[in-house]
Amino acid sequence: MTLETTALLLILGAPLVTTIALFSFPRRLQPVARWLAGGAAALSLVAMFSLIPALRRGDVPAIALNWMPAAGIQFDLHIDWLTLPFAITEGAVTLLAIIYAWGSEANDARAPYFYGLLLLFSVGMAGTTLADGMVLFYTFWELMLIASCALILVWGHASSSGPSRRAVALKYFIFTHLGSLMVLVSLVILYNATGTDRFSALRAGVTLAPGMATTVIALFILGFCVKMAIFPLHIWLPDAHTVAPMPVTIMLAAAMLSMGAYGILRFPMSIFTIEQMQPFAVPMMILGILSEIYGALMALAERDIKRIIAYSSVSQMGYILYGMGTLTYNGLAGATLHVIYHAIVKALLFMVVGLVVYVTGKRNIDEIGGLARRMPVVTACAAIGIMAIIAVPPLCVFDSEWMIFAGGLETPYVTLSVITIFGSLLTVAYALWFGSRIFLGQDPAETADGAPLPRAKLPLAMVAPTVLLAALAIIEGVFPAPLFDWVAHELPLLLGGRW
Amino acid sequence: MSPDNTGVILPLLILVGGAFTIYLVARLITSRNEWLAVLTATVFAAALGALLALGRAPGNAAPMWGNIMAGVSGMGSVVLQADRGAVFVGSIALAMGLCVAVYSGRYLSLDHRYRTYYPLLLLMVTGLLGMVMTTDLFNLYLFTELMSIAAYVLVAFRRRTDTSIEAGFKYLIMGTVGTLTLLMGITLIYRETGAMTLPQSIVAPGVWARAGLACMWVGLGIKSAIVPLHTWQPDAYGRAPSSVSALLSSIVGPFYILLKLSLGLGFPAQELGLGLMVCAMVNMLLGNGMALMQTHTKRLLAYSSIAQLGYVMFSIGVGLRYGLPEAVQAGFFLLAAHAAMKGLAFLSKGVCHFYDHTTTIEQLRGTFQRLPLIAITFSIAIMGLIGIPPLAGFTGKWFILTEVWRAADGWVYAGSVIFLLNTLLSLGYYLPILAMMFSPLPTQDTPPPVKISGWMIVPLVALAILVIVIGVFPGPLWQWAGDVLTF
Repeated sequence: MTLETTALLLILGAPLVTTIALFSFPRRLQPVARWLAGGAAALSLVAMFSLIPALRRGDVPAIALNWMPAAGIQFDLHIDWLTLPFAITEGAVTLLAIIYAWGSEANDARAPYFYGLLLLFSVGMAGTTLADGMVLFYTFWELMLIASCALILVWGHASSSGPSRRAVALKYFIFTHLGSLMVLVSLVILYNATGTDRFSALRAGVTLAPGMATTVIALFILGFCVKMAIFPLHIWLPDAHTVAPMPVTIMLAAAMLSMGAYGILRFPMSIFTIEQMQPFAVPMMILGILSEIYGALMALAERDIKRIIAYSSVSQMGYILYGMGTLTYNGLAGATLHVIYHAIVKALLFMVVGLVVYVTGKRNIDEIGGLARRMPVVTACAAIGIMAIIAVPPLCVFDSEWMIFAGGLETPYVTLSVITIFGSLLTVAYALWFGSRIFLGQDPAETADGAPLPRAKLPLAMVAPTVLLAALAIIEGVFPAPLFDWVAHELPLLLGGRW
Repeated sequence: MSPDNTGVILPLLILVGGAFTIYLVARLITSRNEWLAVLTATVFAAALGALLALGRAPGNAAPMWGNIMAGVSGMGSVVLQADRGAVFVGSIALAMGLCVAVYSGRYLSLDHRYRTYYPLLLLMVTGLLGMVMTTDLFNLYLFTELMSIAAYVLVAFRRRTDTSIEAGFKYLIMGTVGTLTLLMGITLIYRETGAMTLPQSIVAPGVWARAGLACMWVGLGIKSAIVPLHTWQPDAYGRAPSSVSALLSSIVGPFYILLKLSLGLGFPAQELGLGLMVCAMVNMLLGNGMALMQTHTKRLLAYSSIAQLGYVMFSIGVGLRYGLPEAVQAGFFLLAAHAAMKGLAFLSKGVCHFYDHTTTIEQLRGTFQRLPLIAITFSIAIMGLIGIPPLAGFTGKWFILTEVWRAADGWVYAGSVIFLLNTLLSLGYYLPILAMMFSPLPTQDTPPPVKISGWMIVPLVALAILVIVIGVFPGPLWQWAGDVLTF
């Protein structure tokens, strides 16, 4: 076993073994559960980074086992340039979410299960990106759903007026499973057409009847759009994001949504040629624009601060779908970069929301205000996050949106691109409104005589990841070259290797 | 091949002999539940071993045993044949019988009529095994009656409760109509062909044989709960002791016999396939639709069985209609996987009832706190039934989809869409069970976890492992499900 296969196994093995240990000995491991979980997530992330040199040499680290030889189904894991950005985003988000959970969640008797499920959720996402076989991919895809659904079901905080967490978890499961089934249908058709379930073999060429190819692509895109929460398939998202405990929300919004984008890049975009994809370009762009505008409008209309950021995800996923829909070099690279940057910014904003709720105990924006005086560091981080999501240069999202728009303008559909660019004005509206209402103005909690409330005491475990992400948002914006270098390597894998 | 392989009759002899011996032991020596459970389990295990040994017999021809009487066209002769289908269907029931017998070692301890319970379990499986092994229509009727009568009594086993008497009585009425219709069908076929043996060399069935077949479909359709002849089943599964429900759901003999008879009597496979595909749609929709409305866990599971049978029928129907043996194989794969999953679900439910007297879904709340192991095994069963990878149900559905689409026909695609939408629909009733089990009890002072008896843990854990193993390594079961039905 070489060093590379060990690292590859470690990515999934470290969190998986820790989960099994936490589930098996919950009482004994309860005091150290948080440390174990953090350690496993860190180990998994380090293992991902350790594979980059191999990728640079042009290798594709892989593990291949015969799983069901009779059916030609393999247990294959691999990491290539398309996997890498998604896997690392996922790993980093998991690590930060677990650290955040140290501060935000009680370390009670149920903590081992909580951290175990967080890790299992992460295994699901990492496995989804690493799998090189359809059955394996689908297995991890569903694991991701089950683990996150269990977290929402057991640890969710439902508001008294909204639906119960059970209703939310069921809606989340059923709706997302609908998407999974669409993906499953496409996978089975491809499997039947080729007799293999390995993606690497599929890329070599799929011969499908034109009508069948269209069906497969359409089902793939629709199925993955459910996971990405593209309008009008987003209806599971606002409730699930609102009810989930904050670390889970961070993982859902920053990492899991982008698994849908990974799916679109991995399946239709990798397997089919640009000629076969061309009919879907305009529908994807239009869906993207609709999502962008709808999400932003809903964010403007919302009063629950967690839901505002949740709807902002619908809007941001719209940009990603739009970028992929352009089918251009810039659009695809921009979309992948946007996945990473969106993860940074969205995790940052949700962490800020979590801190605001931690201090005030309220989620209604009308009851919150003037927090800048009470939590200056968080306010600074929030300001960076808000400016980043508006795409103020030189913050990170500016780079990716620039590329997405540039990709859009390369296509013949200039009108659509112009709409997207102007649609981003709505982001400015809700983001600034969100920030100014929370951090500026008068705090409704202050007494009538105007005596200022003291500085809030915040747990370091919650503030540190927030500050780190704010710093990353700046660093990545100013020096996008290393990340862009990763992303550029994935492009030869897409659309029949045009670039 | 001469019918002289005595090994064929061995499983039946073991079961019948075991049934009478256990009754005598219970009357004369000891009526301790544990002893009787161990004895019954031993008998099931021995019969299973004997049957599996037949499956491994060398050569292509199925081993046969016969006692042929000279006389009116073979009336009265007994010929048994252990073909692949008989071994497949029989061993599913025997394996589940083994689990149920061990499980009853504790589950039944609060009832007091052990000496009838265990022999009846054995006789019911005897009837099933005879049904699938016999090559004679008249014996088929006799074995069907044996199985049915044992089943009626077992369903009404808790005779002190009105509901189980009602369920047993309903089952008795409908089941008797079914067996009588079957008998009428047999006479009609005899009217035309003058022979009782199977398979008969009919090129195309005539009027009488077709009428006879129609009667047989009705009779066996009642037994295998094909909509609209299913109405006894939710009552029977819902009211019988959970151990009996588990065993009943693993008895797929009538459905298999329905297919085998139709094909053996020369009914065209294409037409049979079309009929199955249509019935499959109705079974899925009605089973899932009714299951959505249930509040009683076991009735819900019973309706889910009707839906799952619909999936199986769809796959087998497509296989017969378009000449795809692998699609038939996939159908039987899911049938076996479903027996394991549904058995696990019923047995898990039985433990909840045993310790906490839960009947409705609402009462399952807090199962994870009270009975953590049961919450896990029940979840494995439910997730398997949903089709979550890598459990057995997912592999079954994957095989069905891949094989069925080889037909490349518009109707098959339409049927598959209904199939998939039904899978989605089924989430509506499976997920609340899961959610309820893992929801904490509202009170702060949660009851302490219960120590579950080892008699129950062993079969539950074994079945849970089986559900996972079938899902992860489906190869052996896939091989085994091949050539169950030749057409």
